[in-house]
Amino acid sequence: MGDSSSDEENHWVFYRDRPEWKDVEPVPQDDGDVGVVSIRYTDKFKDVYDYFRAVLKSSEKSDRALELTKDAAALNPANYTVWQYRRDILKTLSKDLHEELEYSRCIIEENPKNYQVWHHRRVLVEWLKDASKELYLTELILSQDAKNYHAWQHRQWAIKTFNLFDGELNFVDQLLQDDIRNNSAWNQRYFVINNTTGFTEEVLKQEIEYTLDKIRIAKENESAWNFLRGLLLHDKGGLSKNKMVTEFCEELYASGNRSPFLLALLVDMCDEQVSLGGGDSKYTLERAQELCKVLSTEYDKIRAKYWEHMASVIQKKADGTYEPTAHNSSFSADES
Amino acid sequence: MNCNYNRKISLKHNLHAKYLLRFLDALPSSLISCDTTRMTIAYFAISGLDVLNALDIIGEERRQNIIQWIYSLQVVNDDELVSGFQGSSTVNTIHNRNQNAQYKWSHLAGTYCGLCSLVILGDDLSKVNRKAITRSLKTLQLPNGCYTGAKDGTENDMRFLFIAASISYLLNDWSGMDIEKSVSFVKDSISYDYGIGQGPELEAHGGSTYCAVATLALCNRLHSLTDAQLAGLRRWLLNRQIDGFQGRPNKPVDTCYSFWIGAALKILGAFELTDFEQNRNYVMSTQNDVIGGFSKWVDSMSDPLHTYMGLAGLSLIGENGLREVVPTLNITFRAYEHLKFVQKQWL
Repeated sequence: MGDSSSDEENHWVFYRDRPEWKDVEPVPQDDGDVGVVSIRYTDKFKDVYDYFRAVLKSSEKSDRALELTKDAAALNPANYTVWQYRRDILKTLSKDLHEELEYSRCIIEENPKNYQVWHHRRVLVEWLKDASKELYLTELILSQDAKNYHAWQHRQWAIKTFNLFDGELNFVDQLLQDDIRNNSAWNQRYFVINNTTGFTEEVLKQEIEYTLDKIRIAKENESAWNFLRGLLLHDKGGLSKNKMVTEFCEELYASGNRSPFLLALLVDMCDEQVSLGGGDSKYTLERAQELCKVLSTEYDKIRAKYWEHMASVIQKKADGTYEPTAHNSSFSADES
Repeated sequence: MNCNYNRKISLKHNLHAKYLLRFLDALPSSLISCDTTRMTIAYFAISGLDVLNALDIIGEERRQNIIQWIYSLQVVNDDELVSGFQGSSTVNTIHNRNQNAQYKWSHLAGTYCGLCSLVILGDDLSKVNRKAITRSLKTLQLPNGCYTGAKDGTENDMRFLFIAASISYLLNDWSGMDIEKSVSFVKDSISYDYGIGQGPELEAHGGSTYCAVATLALCNRLHSLTDAQLAGLRRWLLNRQIDGFQGRPNKPVDTCYSFWIGAALKILGAFELTDFEQNRNYVMSTQNDVIGGFSKWVDSMSDPLHTYMGLAGLSLIGENGLREVVPTLNITFRAYEHLKFVQKQWL
């Protein structure tokens, strides 16, 4: 039968008309006495699922039942019971899982944003303890949509479980060359470093250089600025003491650039210095106030209220009267 | 509050109510992939009608029928520990009606949507087997704190943690959850940019960030985050506003994030810092004023999820004629009051 979804409707033979299924009584769905959110099933759908229910009922685990799950999955790849039953059959019949892996690749290519098919894949890889095809598969899917969350999730899982970190930074670099704003790729960069070299002083320096180069290319790219802030989480001096970063920011500012992400970082540098009480004379309360003002009136107007709020927070910190918002959330467990 | 909205586009209350009511009756065969998640569609329609203040159009007989249908999907099975609600009747037959069978398992999404829908419809939950549900729920929590969606065959991620917290809250019984483990899972999933992913080290995402924040609020554990984490989280969420909201940096805006991001900010006490007018303008631009409903983008097909999330998102900014949604549980305050009333009877 193979892949029924691509078959022409008129080549389709209903299960009820197949001699090899003559011994099975189809089992209709029981939707209770009243239908709600009833689906107008096609005849083909009804036929396939009537036989699927029959097979479930008798716990038949056979080659023909395995083929049936293929048809059922093709009609609704989101049916997790179909996939679960398929796996139970595969196990019982000790089927060749490499063949199944190949089939799952086809299904993933057709349904790259479906949870169940990715889950099926993951179980197969776990059973086989072989992740040699996962990088290729996810690369293929990411070549169509470089931000597909399922593909990234699967890829990270495979890399971490089977230690496939080699070459991953190059892959990330390639994706960032294709699209410097690919936030998923930036996240993957962090993931790789965090799990391999860690953020040693030397790595930190290299990564900051790398990121600053990328910011030079696209100055309003939030992903790169976020990554830079992420790197500075590993700098003992905090946000405002890394010379490479502060010099870069000051130069960029002096050149007339007013990227909201640049200004926001400068605000946070001021915030840090003001909170720590004294320090670098460049990062003052006054400068924070001025930056918040231009952010709210000119460069990041949609967040005007936020920047006004930040200005008052930093003022309070300078005055020593700041108290972080208390959390007395309603709708929580202890409330009733 | 920003009061100078562009009110040119008005919300088509009646049209949306009719649109949702249609889904409550039947889905076209083009939505066959929703076959296993019909309970979720029912919840979108029922809660959407509640937000629209239009539950009445369901009618009393139909209301009773829907309640009956939801209960027909309840599974009580303490042997296999698969109690809860199914998402659909796909594997149900006259042979296994009212009895347990292999693969007749509940699914967390079915349980959450079923319970919410019952509460919204005014049911007193007296036929819900609360103990059986929490006993099964407990078995779905993994060592790292996350939950899987069902006994077997499903993935695990932040969505299911949120659902598990919601179910515990709705049933007013936390014995199905190790809260410490849940909190660690959320904390482990905070990204370097302070947004929160579907799990540790995954890219921060608006949907998972909502799930994580709502989970902490439901467990009364928002204070487990540091001030830096809270400030960073608010910043990350606020940065998602372009005109409407996007789910991740450098991704297109999408109507549903007006709820996911908006509600997370509301829980964190920072929603007032967003631009209501631009938010509204975007969501309204995705309103279908012929057949009703909302879509994710301008000029695309409306669907039940985006219709519900669009309405819920608008309710957060106080849109005229809409009932406000409780940001953690995602039901209206009216339904929430009923829940509190029902829970009192259990004491």
